[in-house]
Amino acid sequence: MTRVEQELIRNFSIIAHIDHGKSTLADRILQLTGAISEREMRDQVLDSMDLERERGITIKAQAVRVFYTARDGKTYQLNLIDTPGHVDFSYEVSRSLAACEGALLVVDASQGIEAQTLANVYLAIEGDLALIPVLNKIDLPAADPELHGGAVAELIGDDPDHVLRISAKTGEGVADVLEAIVEHIPPPSGDRDAAPRALIFDSVYDQYRGVVAFVRVVDGEFRKGDRLLAMQTGREVDAEEIGVMSPRMTPTGSLAAGESGYMVTGLKSVGDLKVGDTLTLAKRPAPEALAGYREVKPMVFCGLFPVDSDDYPDLRDALEKLSLNDASLQWEPETSQALGFGFRCGFLGLLHMDIVRERLEREYDLELLATTPNVEYEVTTTAGEELGVRSPADLPPATNVESIREPYVRCTILVPSDGVGAVMQLCQERRGSYVTMTPIEQRQQIVYDLPLAEIVTDYYDQLKSRTRGYASLDYEVVGYRESPLVKLDVLLAGEPVDALSMIVHKDMAYGRGKALVERLQKTIPRQMFEVPIQAAIGGRIIARETVKARRKDVLAKCYGGDISRKRKLLEKQKEGKKRMKQVGSIEVPQEAFLSVLTLGNDQQSNGKGK
Amino acid sequence: MTPGASHLYAHLPFCASRCGYCAFVVEVGALDRRDAYAAALRAELAAESGRLGPLETVYLGGGTPTLMRPHRLRGLLEDLAPRLAPGAEVSIEANPETVDGDQLRELRALGITRVSLGAQSFQPHLLAALDRAATPAQVRRAVACAQDAGFASVSVDLLFGVPGQTPQDLEADLAAVTGLGVDHVSWYELEIKPGTALERMGAEPPDEDRAADAYERVVEGLEAAGFRWYETANFARPGHECRHSLAYWSAADYLGIGVGAVSTAGGVRWRNAAGVDRYIAALDAGEAPRRETETLDADTRRRERWMLGLRVDRDLDIGWAGAPDHPEALERLEAGGLVRRSGSRIALTRRGRFIQNAVLQELMEYAS
Repeated sequence: MTRVEQELIRNFSIIAHIDHGKSTLADRILQLTGAISEREMRDQVLDSMDLERERGITIKAQAVRVFYTARDGKTYQLNLIDTPGHVDFSYEVSRSLAACEGALLVVDASQGIEAQTLANVYLAIEGDLALIPVLNKIDLPAADPELHGGAVAELIGDDPDHVLRISAKTGEGVADVLEAIVEHIPPPSGDRDAAPRALIFDSVYDQYRGVVAFVRVVDGEFRKGDRLLAMQTGREVDAEEIGVMSPRMTPTGSLAAGESGYMVTGLKSVGDLKVGDTLTLAKRPAPEALAGYREVKPMVFCGLFPVDSDDYPDLRDALEKLSLNDASLQWEPETSQALGFGFRCGFLGLLHMDIVRERLEREYDLELLATTPNVEYEVTTTAGEELGVRSPADLPPATNVESIREPYVRCTILVPSDGVGAVMQLCQERRGSYVTMTPIEQRQQIVYDLPLAEIVTDYYDQLKSRTRGYASLDYEVVGYRESPLVKLDVLLAGEPVDALSMIVHKDMAYGRGKALVERLQKTIPRQMFEVPIQAAIGGRIIARETVKARRKDVLAKCYGGDISRKRKLLEKQKEGKKRMKQVGSIEVPQEAFLSVLTLGNDQQSNGKGK
Repeated sequence: MTPGASHLYAHLPFCASRCGYCAFVVEVGALDRRDAYAAALRAELAAESGRLGPLETVYLGGGTPTLMRPHRLRGLLEDLAPRLAPGAEVSIEANPETVDGDQLRELRALGITRVSLGAQSFQPHLLAALDRAATPAQVRRAVACAQDAGFASVSVDLLFGVPGQTPQDLEADLAAVTGLGVDHVSWYELEIKPGTALERMGAEPPDEDRAADAYERVVEGLEAAGFRWYETANFARPGHECRHSLAYWSAADYLGIGVGAVSTAGGVRWRNAAGVDRYIAALDAGEAPRRETETLDADTRRRERWMLGLRVDRDLDIGWAGAPDHPEALERLEAGGLVRRSGSRIALTRRGRFIQNAVLQELMEYAS
C-alpha cells in the first residue's frame, strides 16, 4: 500500500450539541466519499452500540477513514474522529480533539449554540484546532441562519460569510464541508523518521481479539508484528494487526505519522492499555511520551444490588465483562443490611450510570436495584484521619466528624433572557453561588458554582422544565469545598434502612426528610401491619408518615370447585411480590430506593429527543 | 384404590342473557339444546359413575339451572336418587325471575333439598348495573315461594363492591336480606373480570378502604342478625352451612359433570371444555368430553389445603394440611394478632380473615 503523504491527510472531529445533527452529517460524509454504499447505509453508522443508536447518543470515540478527491484534483485521506455529545463524556471529547488538527463546529440553525457546544469549542480553541463553522438543518422552517450564523462567527472570531449553511438530512452543502476540511484544516506535521509515537485515544475489548487500541500516530510508523511499548505502564505487547476503520475494521499492515487507526493487541482488559498513554516501539523507544489525559475519575456513585440475591455472582461477572470495555467504570463489593450483597459502583455521571445499568439488565439479563446516586465526600475525623466517603452508610457518626468537603462543579447555562430568573432561582435553591452572566446571541450565559450532589438528583430535569426546555447545561468539576453536611437516615418500622440514607446540607435536611417520607409513603404499598416511616438526623426524628395496614385481601368466590384458578391468582400475586425487596418484614418496591432522585419531579433522563 | 367421591357438581350452562359481570361458562341463546344437553349429562354421569361413592352432596350450578325447567332435570335426579347417602344435601341455583311456586314445589318433589337464589342486590339501580333481569319484588316472591315449598335451606346470593353502590345501598340490602328469614347468605365481593361487559365499560373496583368498609359492614350486619360467618363469603344460621361448599374447602374429592365442570379425584384435576355442542357430540358418540388435566403434586395439594382450609372459621389441623413452607412466619403472625394457635391447630383471627391472602403469602410459597 502506498503511503499517503502527510500533506494529503486531514484529521478532524465534529463538535455539536446532541440532536444538532452530528451523526447525520458523519453518515452523509461516509456516503459522499463512497466509504459506504447506499445499500449499506444505515442511520448513524458511527454509533455502533445498540444503546447508542437507540438513545441517539455517542458514547465511545471512534475514528473512521475516508478518501475524498477534492476540487484541486488531489485525493485526500480524511480521518473523522467522533466525539460524544453528552456532558458525562466531556473527557472523551478532549481525547478526540487531541487527536485532530481541526474540527467542524455544527450548530442547529433553528436552535443556536448550546452550553455543551460552547464548552467543547473552548476545548478546541485551547487545543489550537482549526474550526470550521457549520449551520445545519437550514431546511427547517424555524431556521434562522442570519442570527445563529452571526453568533457562531462571533464566538470563534470568524467572518459570518465563512459559516457554511447545510442540511445533512438532504445533503445540501455537504460537499462544501469536505472542501473546507481540505482547505482550512492543516495537515498533520509529525516526523515520519523519528522514533514512533502514537496516542491511545480509546480502547475497546473484543472477545475474539482482545483489546483493540484506537490511536493517532504522531511520529514514525508502526507495522504489524511490531513489539509495542506502552510508555506510561511499561507494558509490552505485540501489534497483532494494524488497520483503519473505513468504517469497518480494515487491516492495512501499518500506520504512519499523521494517520489514525487501530491496533489489535490480544490483551485481556482495557485497563492494560490506558487511554492517554503513548505507544512506541520496544526496540526503538521514543525519548519522551506525548502529553496524555488526566485520569478519569468517577463522579457519581450508587449501589447496584441484584433483586434476586442468587444473581450476585452473575452481577459480578457482568461487571467484570463491562469493565473490560469501560475503564471509567469502577466497582467494589458492598453489603447493605437492607439489600444484601451488591456492589458500589462509580460512574462518570448520571447518563453513564443509566447506560451501565441498562446494559447490565439488557445484555446480562439481570434485574437490578440501584440506590440513590451520590458523590464522593472528603471527611476529616476528629482523630485527624482523612476518609473518602462514597456511600452515606460509610459516613462516621457526627460526633467523630471534624469537617466534610464535597465536590463542586462550575455550571454554564445558556438560556433565553426570559428564563434567567427561573435559572437563578433554581441555582439558589441548590446552594449555588453566582459567578458571572454574559449575553451570547439573544441569550444569557449564566455561570454558577454548585455542589455536584445537587446536580445528580433532578437538577437537569428541573432546569429543563422551568425554562420550557430552552436552557442547556454544561459543567466541570472545580474542586472540593467544605460544607455543613449531615446524614439523613430513614427508618422503616423503627429500623434504619441503610440503602435509603443520604448526605444533605443541614439547612435542607428538614425539607428533604419530609419530602422523602411523603414520597415513600406513596410508593410503599399497604403492608400486613401499620409501618411508620421516619426521617432522622442522628437520633432525632424530623419527619414521619405511616403506611397503612392492609384491611382486605381475599379471593372471592371459589366457584364450582375451580380451585386451580384461585391458586393461580395467589401465584400471580406472588410474582408481583418478587419485584419487591423484602426489608425486614416490609415489602418495599424498587422505586422506593430511587425516590430521592425524583423529589419534586420525574426521574431524570438524558439523551436525544428529550 | 381411593374411595369414591362423595360430592357431585353438575353444570347447567343455559342463560337467557349474559350478565355484565359474568365470566362463567354459560350458553346464551341455545335453549333448543337443553334436551340433548340433559341426555349428555346423564351419559357423562353414567360413564364416570365408577368414581362415585355414596353421595353426601349434589350441586346443580350454572348458568341458570332453573332454565332447564323441572322436567328436564327429572331424569338426572332419578339417576342420582339411588346414589344419595341418607340425609344428602341436593342444592340448585335459581334465578328469581325464572321460578314460581309450582316449579319450586316440583323441584322439591324431585329431591332437591336446598335452593340458592341469585338476588345480587335489592336496589333497582344496582340490579340494572349488573344486567340482572329480576326486580326486588321478584326476588322477595321467589324467596317466599321457596320457603313455602319446604326446602331444608334457602340461600340468597348478594354482591358488594358494585359500581355505584353507596354505604346506604349496602345498609338497605342488609336490611332486606335479614328481613327475609333465609337460612344462608353468600355475599361476594364483585370481581371485575377480564372479558366482561363491566370491564369493557371501564368499571373500577372501589379502593381498599371502601371495599373493606363494605365487607366489614356485611360481616357485622349478618352476624347481628344471627348468621355465622363460616367462610370468607358465606354466612349461615346454625345447621344451614352449605355442605357441598364445605367439601371444597376441606379439599375433598369431587366429580364435576357438564361443560366447564371441574373434578378433583386421586390427586388429579380435570376440567371439561366449554362449548355445549361439542360436549353433546362427544357424549353422543360415546366418548369423554374434551378435558384439560392437571396432576397435583404433594406440594401443590398441601398449599391448596392451606388456601382452602383458612377460608372457613374452623381450626386447620397442621397434621392434616401439612407443614407451612415458612413455619417461622407463624410466630410473627400470631404476635401480630392475625393467627391463633393451639398445639397443631391454627385459625385466622377476625382481622386475619379479612387479609387471608396476605397471611397465606407469608406462610406458603405459591409459585407457578
